[in-house]
Amino acid sequence: MTSKKKPVSRFLAQYSFIIVFVTIFIIFAITSNGLTVNGIMNIFRHSAVIGIIAIGMGMVCLIGEIDLSVGSMLALDSGFAVVIYNLSGSILVTLLFCLAFGALCGVINGMLVGYVKMPAFIVTLATMLIFRSFAQYFCQAIPKDLCGGGSSVYRMVNSIDSYQAFYGFGNGKVASVPIVGLVLVVIVVLFTYLTTSTKFGKKVYAIGSNVKGASMTGINVELMTVTVFVIAGVLVGVSSFLWIAMNASSDPATTGKSYEMYAIASVVLGGISMSGGRGKCLGILFGAMSYTVIDKIIVALKMDSLINDAIKGMILILVILIQIAGPQLKNKLQHK
Amino acid sequence: MNLLEMKNICKAFNGVPVLKNVELLIEKGEVHALMGENGAGKSTLMNVLTGVHPRDGGSIVFDGHTLEHITVKKSEELGIAFVHQELNLFNDMTVYENIFIGKEYVNRFGRCDKKRMVKKAAELFERLDVKIDPLEKVENLKTSEKQLLEISKALFFDAKLLILDEPTTSLNNEEVEHLFQIIRNLKKQGTSFIFISHKMPEIFQISDRYTVFRNGEHIASGLIKDTSPEQMTSLMVGSAFSSKDVYETRPTGEVVLKLANYSGPGFANINLEVKKGQIIGLTGLQGAGSSELMQCMFGATCAEGGSMAVAGKEVPYHSIHQAMKAGVAMLASNRKENSVIGDMSLLENMYLAEHTLSAKHFHIHKQKEEKRFEKYKAMLSIKAQSSSDSILSLSGGNQQKVFLARWLNTNADILLLDNPTQGIDVGAKAEIYKLILELAREGKTILINTLEIPEIQKIADYCAVFYDGRIVKILEHEEINEQTVMLYSTNAVNV
Repeated sequence: MTSKKKPVSRFLAQYSFIIVFVTIFIIFAITSNGLTVNGIMNIFRHSAVIGIIAIGMGMVCLIGEIDLSVGSMLALDSGFAVVIYNLSGSILVTLLFCLAFGALCGVINGMLVGYVKMPAFIVTLATMLIFRSFAQYFCQAIPKDLCGGGSSVYRMVNSIDSYQAFYGFGNGKVASVPIVGLVLVVIVVLFTYLTTSTKFGKKVYAIGSNVKGASMTGINVELMTVTVFVIAGVLVGVSSFLWIAMNASSDPATTGKSYEMYAIASVVLGGISMSGGRGKCLGILFGAMSYTVIDKIIVALKMDSLINDAIKGMILILVILIQIAGPQLKNKLQHK
Repeated sequence: MNLLEMKNICKAFNGVPVLKNVELLIEKGEVHALMGENGAGKSTLMNVLTGVHPRDGGSIVFDGHTLEHITVKKSEELGIAFVHQELNLFNDMTVYENIFIGKEYVNRFGRCDKKRMVKKAAELFERLDVKIDPLEKVENLKTSEKQLLEISKALFFDAKLLILDEPTTSLNNEEVEHLFQIIRNLKKQGTSFIFISHKMPEIFQISDRYTVFRNGEHIASGLIKDTSPEQMTSLMVGSAFSSKDVYETRPTGEVVLKLANYSGPGFANINLEVKKGQIIGLTGLQGAGSSELMQCMFGATCAEGGSMAVAGKEVPYHSIHQAMKAGVAMLASNRKENSVIGDMSLLENMYLAEHTLSAKHFHIHKQKEEKRFEKYKAMLSIKAQSSSDSILSLSGGNQQKVFLARWLNTNADILLLDNPTQGIDVGAKAEIYKLILELAREGKTILINTLEIPEIQKIADYCAVFYDGRIVKILEHEEINEQTVMLYSTNAVNV
C-alpha cells in the first residue's frame, strides 16, 4: 500500500470509539477520587442490558433499518417472563421463554418490514406503542398472584426454590467480574465473529451497502431482514432474562424506557452508519459502556440525575461533530 | 487568447497520483474533445476545474483571472458550467423552477415572480430552439429533454465554458443532431465546450480540437482535422490495443439452455436453444425486450408463461437463488446500481455471490478466498493493488472484471451478460471481448445483451434480434452487420 495515511491515524479513524471511551473514562477516574476494581466492574454490570440490546440494534442498523420497539419489547418480554417464572418456578423455562418471545416480537417486526415492505420506522414505532401498552395492561388484567402480588409491577415470588439461585446469577460475580458483564462480553465476541468472519455477516453488510446489488448476487433480502429483526428480538430476550435476574422484578411503565434511543446512540457512538453497511460490532460495546460511565460520572459529581440525558445528548452531538467536521476542517487547513 | 489554461496540474488520492503535470488549453469559441480511457484522469481534471477537488499543484487561468483557490460556487460565478452524465435535476419541480433554483426573481416583498421567470425561460428555449414547456414537471420530460434542460440552465446564467460529460448516452440520433446544432450555434457566439465522450464518430463530427490523456498524463493535443479515429484510439490506449479480429469458431456441445414459449414482463413467446460453448448476442432497440428477458431468466422478475430449462431441468420462476443453483449467472447492467457493493472490498465483492450458494458452510476461510481472488485477478488481469481495497477505488473496466470474477466464482455454466461494456473504455472493452471468447472456449455458454452491434459482430456465433418483445430474426455470425441488424430491429423488413 502506498497510502499516505499513517497507520496510527488510520487506526484512530477506525477505532475512534475507543478514544471516546478512554476520554470519558479518564474523566470518570478523576471525578470519582480513585478507581476501585468494584467501580470498574460495575460499569460492565450496568452496561449489560443496554449493551446487548444495542448489539441487536447495531445489526438492524447495519442492514439500513431501525428498530424503535426494543425498549418496549424489553418491558413486555421481561414482564411476561416474570409471570412464566412465577408459574413454572424454573429458570430454564424462563430463559427459553425470554428468547422465544423476543424472537416472536422480532418476527412480527421483521415480516412487516421484510415481506410487506413497510418502512421500519413506522412498523417499529407502532410495535413500540403496542408492546408497552400490553406490558402495562396485562400487569393489571391478570390475577395478582401471577405478578407476585404487586399492584403495578411484575414481581418474582421469592418463595420459589430457585429464587436465590436466579437472583444470585443476576447479581453474582466470578473472580470479581459480574456474571451479567460476562454474558455481554460473550455476546460481543460472538457477534464480532458473526459480522467479520461469516458469510451471514457479510450479507448483512452487503444489504446495508446496496440492497439492489445485494439481491442481484442472490441474497434473499426479505429473509435476511426478518432474520436480523429476529436476532434483535432474541437479544432483547437475553436482556429481559438478565433484567429480571438482576432486579427480580419488572416495572412495565419504566423498564426499558428510552432504551431504543440509548441503543441507537450507542450504535452511532460506536461508529456504525445509520444508513447501513459500515461499522464495527466492537464499537457498540464501547458506545454502550461510554454511556454507562457518563451515568457514573454524574453520580460521582453528585449532580442531579435529571441532567443525565442532556449530557448524553451533548456528548453524542460532540462526538459526531468531531467525526464529521474534523476531516473537513483538516482538509481546509491543508489547502490554505 | 485562450479562455482556459490549466498547466502542470497534479492531483493524488491517498498518495496515488491520478494527474501528473497535465495541461489543458481551451480557446474561445471552440469545442474541445477531452479523450482518454476510464481512469485516465478526465473527470478528476474537470472536478479540479470546477472546485470539487482541490489541486495539489499547477496553475489555472480562466478568462484572464488566475485562480488560486476554486470552489464550486466560484467556478459557477466565473461562467464554468458542468453538465454531468448523471443529471442533477429536481424531478418533482417544474422546468422553470429548476432553471431558477437558488436564483429566483423576486418582487419587492420577496415573493417569487413566477410570470417573469416563465417568460425568461420560454425566451431562452426559443433562442436555443428547444421545445420544452417551462411549466412542465421535470419528471414528465424525456431523458433527452432533461439533458437539453441541463444545458439550457447553464447557458441562462451566461456560462462561458460548458463541460459536457457524455451528453449523448441517452439520446437517439435525431436528438444528438439537435444537440449538436445547438452547440454549433453557441460556438459562433463565442461559448467554449469541453466535450467528453467515448463515441468516436460524434467527436469527429462536432469537435475542433482534442486533448488525450492516458494514465493521468497528457499524451497529445491537436486539431481534429489532422487526426483519424484509428490514430486517436491508439493514442488513448497506448501500445496495448490491437483492433484485429478476435472472433474464432469453436466446437459446441449439446443443448444446455432451452426457452420454450417463454413469456414475461416486456417479452413474449421466446423460443431459443443454446448449445454448450456458444455465444449468443441479443440485441434490439431500447425496450425491445432483450434486457428484460435476461432479468427474467435470472429470476429477478417473474415469468408469465412458458419454460426455461437448463441441462434438461426446468428452472422455477422468479428466484435468483434457484437460477444460480441451476448454474445461471448474470452480470447485470447499470453496474453502479446492480453490482457495486460500495462499502465492501474487492475480495468481499467477489465472494458474495458464491456465498449465497455455500451458505451452509458458515465460516469464511479468508486465505482460501484470497487464493481464489488471486487466481481471478491473474486470469482476468484485474488492475488492483490489494484485495482489501474498496471496490470504488477501481475504474469501471476493472470493477466489471471483479464482477465477472464474482460470477465465475459461482461455477456457473451459463453466463448472462447484460450490457457488459457499459461505460468502459476501448482498451478494457477489447480485453473483455477476449475474455468472453476464452470463457466460451472453456465450455461456458454465454448470452450477451448489448445495443452495440460491432460488439456482437466481434464475438457472437448467433445474434437474436428483438423487436417489440419478440425475437424477429436469428442471424448467423457472417450475417451480423450493423445494417442488417438495424433492419430487423426496426422491423423495416416487414413494412
